[in-house]
Amino acid sequence: MSFLRAAVRQVVGLFVSDWVQGGVVLAIIAAGWLAVSRLGTPAVVVFVLLIAAQLVWFARAEGVRRSRPQSPS
Amino acid sequence: MGQQVLIFGAAFLGSAVEATEALTIVLAVGLTRGWRAPLLGTVAAIVALAALVILFGQLIVTRIPDSALKLLVGTLLLLFGLNWLHKAVLRSAGAVAMRDEARAYQQTVSQLQETQSRTDWVGFVLALKGVFLEGLEVVFIVIGVGGTGHGLATAVAGGLVAAAVVAATGFFVRRPLARVPENTLKYGVGVILTSLGTFWAAEGMGATWPGDFLSIFVLVAVYFGASRLAVELIRRPALA
Repeated sequence: MSFLRAAVRQVVGLFVSDWVQGGVVLAIIAAGWLAVSRLGTPAVVVFVLLIAAQLVWFARAEGVRRSRPQSPS
Repeated sequence: MGQQVLIFGAAFLGSAVEATEALTIVLAVGLTRGWRAPLLGTVAAIVALAALVILFGQLIVTRIPDSALKLLVGTLLLLFGLNWLHKAVLRSAGAVAMRDEARAYQQTVSQLQETQSRTDWVGFVLALKGVFLEGLEVVFIVIGVGGTGHGLATAVAGGLVAAAVVAATGFFVRRPLARVPENTLKYGVGVILTSLGTFWAAEGMGATWPGDFLSIFVLVAVYFGASRLAVELIRRPALA
């Protein structure tokens, strides 16, 4: 049973390690799906830039969080 | 031709990284408790993984419409690649420790020495679990990279060659492959998978890329640039 749980965790973990970031990526893809059929190539460019921007944003946020000294409690 | 080379390369590099991690576990078990049980566990895991590739690979390629398949697999590949790239950025910036195969090997050996008196099912299950779980990532990379670009056979070949190369190296070296630049490979493969995922997801949305698959190289440049920017922002927060 624990093996199955580990396998399920592993499969989910392949795609999502941060649920907020995963949600943002899916929202960008959904918006892209709606926009690309109407606007064509410009929408694709915006789609790529948004994906790249969220990578920078979430990586920076986690990097800063991890390097911040822990407050004594 | 160029697309097939890209598919082979992505499947080969991604599979090699995961095969190295699986090999570390099998070597640790084999050298500590003998080879019979871990090799049986490895064979059982490989059979289960091959069944998954045949079942899902064929099902996906033959039953799902092309545009839906591209959108679905592109989305999954994008999430998968971004996950690797995100971790690679944090490792490059020094915010997360680099993965060390020699250390992972020593940890597994220590755990096994504590359970030396139990039956050899421990060795079998450990090897099965390690190879199966790491192999799941190989299966996803192979199906994701090959399934949408009509290059499943090429991707399977890339995965098999990678597994064979890593297994042969492990056989001759009999040590964890600590010299494999795993973190650098994961960084590179993360960029490539994110680019392929973006390419196929957008095609699934109905987009036509200028220059067809050549635009993948532009995507690689964009994501590599974005990841380096993220590394710099983490290293020097004052820039943000």
